[in-house]
Amino acid sequence: MITTNNLTKKYGDFTALNQLSLTVNPGEIYCLLGANGAGKSTTINLLLGFLKPTSGVALINGKDVATNTISTKKDIAYIPENLMLYPTLTAVENLDYFSGIGGQKLPKETLESLLSQAGLQSDAFYKRTGAFSKGMRQKVGIAIALAKEAKALLLDEPTSGLDPKASNEFGRLLQGLKQNNVAILMATHDLFRAKEIATNIGIMKNGKLLEQFVSDEISLPVLEETYLKTMNYKELAV
Amino acid sequence: MFYYNFKYELKILLRSRWIQLISGLLLVLFVFASFNGSQKIEKRKAEISKAREAVKTSDARMLQQLDSIEKGHKVQVARWMVPTSPIAIGNYYPRVAAMDPNEMGFIAVGQSDVFTHYVSPRVSADDFSINFTEMTSPIQLLFGSFDLVFVLVYLLPLIIIAFSYNVLSEEKERGSLRLLASQPISIKKWVFQKLGLRFFWMAVIITVISLGVFLLNDVVSISGLLSFLALIFCYMLFWFSLAFAINLLVGESAKNALSLIGLWIVFVLLMPSLISQTGDIFFKIPPRMQMVQEIREHKAEAVKKQDEILDNFLRDHPEYAVNDSAQSRNFWHGYMASQNLLKEELQPLLSSYDEKLEEQQNWINKLKWTSPAIITQRALGRLAGTTKQDYDTYQEQVLQFAEEWRSFFMPLLFNNGVFTSELAKSLPAFEYKPKSDNYLVSSLLGLLVMTCVIMGVTVSMYSIRSKETGILGS
Repeated sequence: MITTNNLTKKYGDFTALNQLSLTVNPGEIYCLLGANGAGKSTTINLLLGFLKPTSGVALINGKDVATNTISTKKDIAYIPENLMLYPTLTAVENLDYFSGIGGQKLPKETLESLLSQAGLQSDAFYKRTGAFSKGMRQKVGIAIALAKEAKALLLDEPTSGLDPKASNEFGRLLQGLKQNNVAILMATHDLFRAKEIATNIGIMKNGKLLEQFVSDEISLPVLEETYLKTMNYKELAV
Repeated sequence: MFYYNFKYELKILLRSRWIQLISGLLLVLFVFASFNGSQKIEKRKAEISKAREAVKTSDARMLQQLDSIEKGHKVQVARWMVPTSPIAIGNYYPRVAAMDPNEMGFIAVGQSDVFTHYVSPRVSADDFSINFTEMTSPIQLLFGSFDLVFVLVYLLPLIIIAFSYNVLSEEKERGSLRLLASQPISIKKWVFQKLGLRFFWMAVIITVISLGVFLLNDVVSISGLLSFLALIFCYMLFWFSLAFAINLLVGESAKNALSLIGLWIVFVLLMPSLISQTGDIFFKIPPRMQMVQEIREHKAEAVKKQDEILDNFLRDHPEYAVNDSAQSRNFWHGYMASQNLLKEELQPLLSSYDEKLEEQQNWINKLKWTSPAIITQRALGRLAGTTKQDYDTYQEQVLQFAEEWRSFFMPLLFNNGVFTSELAKSLPAFEYKPKSDNYLVSSLLGLLVMTCVIMGVTVSMYSIRSKETGILGS
């Protein structure tokens, strides 16, 4: 479970995140929408312990991230916007390395199986990742998350730059993880994808969570209009 | 984490050709530098051996002549070189007082370019006229020799910097740091292990190359090789600890590189120069020419008063008094007596010069602990036996031998004795005995303490910063 409680991050006078409180339960996908600088990535960085909160708490399965940075990471998988791997290592080697340093020793068959589950074609397993497309790298990232058997998955604009097919495949993979009772928090600009896969959607602006919806209770056009109004793009709203 | 870092670091380094590049570079540098060093050693050995051969030849001639004289034959030899005369033997059949290079001499040319490594003290020459310096190329003196010490002290840190400056920043710039930092690991430990492994592989390469180079140079001393490697590894540790500090505390590759190069300039170039400058400023040594001038004046004075000096000398040495009419006193008696007086008179002057020099050396010895480059250079020089300290020891032993040589002939001269083939068997011989001290242990400890201080300060600073801002807070 992912929880934030009045989570706040300030840089001097600038407030990057202002008293964010949200909960993502196991088996839920929470999509955070918002323009650049809304505080989405800051939220994820605070949940990963990359940043220290000014006030409030970020909890992973009830444990405070700020005070248990390393132990909470055992339960988190993270896929950044531009996932980069070691270019001179193959997909299997990258997966072996990242899961290995995290404490999981996996046999070769399991590594191949995880890459297959993540949707990577088998002929790419033993190719160096230096020549991989972003979509292929994201799939290795998903395999790393799968290997970790994480209870919480944090995604920072994972579909940006992916072609529609790859984006669709990625959405389906997340649905699969959701079925496995993983709590997923995804920061994205992609309203369509958010509506398609999310169980809950939040709209952020200037570090504040301004709107929250249950995805099934809102249509895509209403979501779009609400988003544009919230962002003050009135001329674009219907 | 360590097993996976160990497993993949070598793969990454091999596939990015780092291991091949470093191995090739170090191999070329080590072979070329040790070849240069061994050439100088060979030259030095050849010179000493030539001088010893010359002594052997002249000794054979001297013994042949003595044999003829003792059998009552006449010999064709200049009057002043007749070998029955103790002064002739003391002057024209001197021994070679040589500082033989040790088997590890090839690692450091050191002061061997500046000081001579063999002299032949004679009875008529005073200690001050023994010339311990030799003509060298001023260009070579300016830049030093391209020996192993130059490679290790000056170039190796640059290779370490190139090999380690961007261990963390490369991850940040490539974009893999966020994925890495999301794993349940400590970034501090991860950087430590990565640098530790790079240190390990570099140490392996250096050990293999050193082993080859030592075998090529016929070095059989295991303790010598181990001391050499221990010094290099401690010096490498110092530079890797600096790389650890910069990787964790600075951040960007360009800034890291610049910071480490700056530290290289400070520790390798600036500190030694500053230490030397302060030594000159605080402990000014009177010009050597002034001392030479004073010695000359005393000598001239002594020559003028030789007869008077001889009388005083004989009064102080009743064992040399003329006891029978067969004994006589000539130029050499006066000369040798004046030499003794001259030595006594010049002692305060020489002592004051030596004291100033010692004060300066002590000051520099204290300050050397501020620069790992000086510590390593001196320690490697000591291993090679080519430091100023080694030459000082040699010169000291040569002066003792010169005294021993003179003392051997003094009773013969003043008792109007005759040199015989029997006495030739007991002529004093010189053997250089290097001084041993704990320089190796103290140097290793010095380097390790510096490394520990850097590591400790870095870990503390990094912990404080990450507590305040998070691991990627900066």
